[in-house]
Amino acid sequence: MIVKALLAVLGLGLGAAAQAQEPPDPRLVTAADEVALAYVVTGEGPVDTASEAGLRGISQVLTDRTTVEPGAPIGIRLDQDDLSLLTFLYWPVTESQPMPSPQAYLRLNRFLRSGGMILFDTRDGDIAGLGGPDGTEALRRLAAPLDVPPLAPVPADHVLTRSFYLLQDFPGRYGGREIWAEAPASAEEAAEGAPFRKLNDGVTPVIIGGNAWAEAWAIGENGLPLYSVGSGLDGENQREMSYRFGVNLIMYVLTGNYKSDQVHVPALLERLRREEVMQ
Amino acid sequence: MTAIGFDPLLPWPVIATVALLALVVALWSWWRGLRGWALRGLAGLAAAAALAGPALETGIRETLSDILLLIDDRSASQSLPGRAAQVDAALARLESQALALPGTEIRRVTLGDDPDGSLLGTAITKALAAEPQTRVAGIIAVSDGLTHDPAMIPADAPAPVHLLLTGRPEDWDRRLVIEEAPAYGLIDQPISIRVRIEDQGRVPEAIASAPARLHISIDGEDLRSLDLPPDVSLDIPVVPRHAGQNVVSIGFDAPQADIPELTDRNNAAALQIQGVRDRLRVLLVSGEPHPGERTWRNLLKSDANLDLIHFTILRPPDKMDAVPVDEMSLIAFPTQELFLERIRDFDLIIFDRYRVRGILMPQYFDNIRRYVEEGGAVLVSAGPEMSTVESLNLSPLGTILPGRPTGRIYEEPYLPRLSPEGERHPVTAGLSGAPREGEASHWGRWLRMSQVIPEPGAQVVLTGAEGQPLLILDRVGKGRVAMLNSDQVWLWGRGFEGGGPQLELLRRIAHWSMKEPDLEEEALLADVAEGLAVTITRRSMSPEARPVRITRPDGQTDTVELAPAGPGRFTARWTAPGAGLYRMTDGEISRVMALGPAAPREFEETVASGDLLAPLAEKTRGAVLNLSQGIPDLRAVREGRQAHGKGISRNWIAITPRGATSTTGMTHRPLLPGWAWLVLVAGLALAGWLAEGRSLRLRRG
Repeated sequence: MIVKALLAVLGLGLGAAAQAQEPPDPRLVTAADEVALAYVVTGEGPVDTASEAGLRGISQVLTDRTTVEPGAPIGIRLDQDDLSLLTFLYWPVTESQPMPSPQAYLRLNRFLRSGGMILFDTRDGDIAGLGGPDGTEALRRLAAPLDVPPLAPVPADHVLTRSFYLLQDFPGRYGGREIWAEAPASAEEAAEGAPFRKLNDGVTPVIIGGNAWAEAWAIGENGLPLYSVGSGLDGENQREMSYRFGVNLIMYVLTGNYKSDQVHVPALLERLRREEVMQ
Repeated sequence: MTAIGFDPLLPWPVIATVALLALVVALWSWWRGLRGWALRGLAGLAAAAALAGPALETGIRETLSDILLLIDDRSASQSLPGRAAQVDAALARLESQALALPGTEIRRVTLGDDPDGSLLGTAITKALAAEPQTRVAGIIAVSDGLTHDPAMIPADAPAPVHLLLTGRPEDWDRRLVIEEAPAYGLIDQPISIRVRIEDQGRVPEAIASAPARLHISIDGEDLRSLDLPPDVSLDIPVVPRHAGQNVVSIGFDAPQADIPELTDRNNAAALQIQGVRDRLRVLLVSGEPHPGERTWRNLLKSDANLDLIHFTILRPPDKMDAVPVDEMSLIAFPTQELFLERIRDFDLIIFDRYRVRGILMPQYFDNIRRYVEEGGAVLVSAGPEMSTVESLNLSPLGTILPGRPTGRIYEEPYLPRLSPEGERHPVTAGLSGAPREGEASHWGRWLRMSQVIPEPGAQVVLTGAEGQPLLILDRVGKGRVAMLNSDQVWLWGRGFEGGGPQLELLRRIAHWSMKEPDLEEEALLADVAEGLAVTITRRSMSPEARPVRITRPDGQTDTVELAPAGPGRFTARWTAPGAGLYRMTDGEISRVMALGPAAPREFEETVASGDLLAPLAEKTRGAVLNLSQGIPDLRAVREGRQAHGKGISRNWIAITPRGATSTTGMTHRPLLPGWAWLVLVAGLALAGWLAEGRSLRLRRG
């Protein structure tokens, strides 16, 4: 123990050079190479199992349908793991979750600032808003130390609604609840800041909702869904929609506002054509 | 100046009270019928006057000398042949004559060159302001009258202003006038420079009708020659060929005549036109969504002067799902239009982890290859797919890629390092945080790269795992290709192990590909700091630099040795002897630099003229005379009289003595001494008493 503490002190003293000599966590290296999706380990067995299975499920859907072929999902212990190799973090919110350490929040804030994204899932879409206890309190507690920009419900024209599929809502195991993301810049700010686009091209660092997406996405070892969604055909339809949300979400994480810029491409091409006529 | 002053012995109210009492006593005496009432009153008033202490005050005055302002114009236009001697002779004679006039002082003001030309008006205004207005008796300017600050010529002066013009009556000059020249121009778009030839003075007949032979060159290369008659404006189209400074020089041969023109220094002009790019257009082709894709987007979209067309393959052709098309947001990209028809509209094409999977047809790649050879730019940011069968290297584009993948992928942490070439190359030189010997902190590691064998002639500027090439730069035909053999530059942005200057590196690679002058590895630069001091910088990939030969406007050459200043940089400081167009070369790169104003302002107009100062001279009754007709005599006339005229042998000009004086002191003499006051008051009182006493006695008798 003492030896370890001494080593830590030495490590700090030698600075980045000594730090750079440590081999990075091989799980994280693989995650960086393979765009693996990551989830926060809450310490609650069933929740962590659902997260793992959910991310495995949506990874499978991505691999089947898109160019993105994520590796096996990895669980992140916020108090230990470096986040700089990750791109997407799924964070199920539970009541009993301990607060991460201040160092962990430093890492989280750097992760958000440098272009990472966290999906907070309060998994309470069935009971929220009825006046009873829901995940709001726990979410508030966990997210308070984060540098989260002003939030607003995702508008109908958000790029999330068309980054791969065209979507009207974003259901998980539960549906019909709105999800929140960084508020769009007010018209005034947008005009003022037009030449100086925002950090990370205006891609929201957090998305917050309560639709228990992991449970909708989750598949078992045999490739079959682990949790029921709704009932009958409607339920399966909702599961498909949750897959589509997952695909759109990961596309948004990786390509940012690519799809909203594509709207401008025809205009740009038109301009090229016009200039050619002029010359 | 004499005046009566008072020096009261008691406060004024007391003196007033005494005077009032005297009046009251006089009135009372008169009412009582006393004969001496007037004398009594006078005695009282005299006492009051004595208390008031009247005194005679006299100023002591001194006559002051008159000041003659001699303005000696020694600006560059006065250096034309014969003019300096004229000025010397005129000033010497005027000075000796002025000294002969009684009580005249000379203030000589010498006017030199100013960056804004010769400022005669300012000189006159300043000289007048520095002297007392009442003493200035005359202002004589010996000048060519060509001033560049007509607004500063005072409207009036307290004494006659004379202008003695240098120059000869037969002076003439032909000059080049740049009427309109833009400071900026879009690259490869013609801009026009409007010029005119102007004749001044007594131009010989044969010349006046002959056109001038204009020569136009850009960056020292002759562009064209043409004849231009005088007083005709002509638009000359000029095309800036590169970003940064394009030096256009326009000039004509000095016309041949018996009497040569005054100067040939206004026969040419050097203009600097900043070549700027139109909006840059970048085509980004991402083979698959991956964490580094947003890094590229953040970089390219943060530049407001850049149009980004981005194209990501979200779904490969071999994957399908049962979702109806109208529920999908996938747009077929106009590949044929972009890669066949419009490809030349782009300044840069970036392939970001692109794998050849049948979306772009082979002829598109062939077209991209041609586009690069004709001057385009391609940047390949390669992931592991570069080492697979879907490698871009196996497409027709492979022939121009600067490296051949071996198929081996290093999946281990490694530190990107500058190669010796990279230390010198502007794309990587000076990147902050680069690993160096003996420095503990440096940028973070990357985790994966493809092994690539660089093409001969390509420059490896960054190395990665096991010293293998990581970033390779190469030129193909007229174009450029850059290849980054790892897709993990985004780790720097994320701050993994401290991160690194990822945006700066990518920005430099992209802009080097687009031939940004600041990032050229072989460059000869001249920074004109202030005036004529130049810092010459040679950027080079070779370890040493040859001396730079500088050709002056007059054909003389200087040789400047360059001293090493950091990897790949050699500098020297050099000061030019004068304004003009200088050519410098080190044998490989030549550059033209224009120092000083486009055409020296002093020589814009050279034929002496008194037009600008004539109104002031006329208003102050002064004269504008040509020195070529002889140096005038200097006289003194009374103020308000005509201050110039014709004498028997020569003209004369005059100063007006002002007779100014100054009061140097004051005498203060009491009007009467104290005893005289006593006698006066006592006498008056006694006389009153006697008069009254006698009358009483008479009445009694």
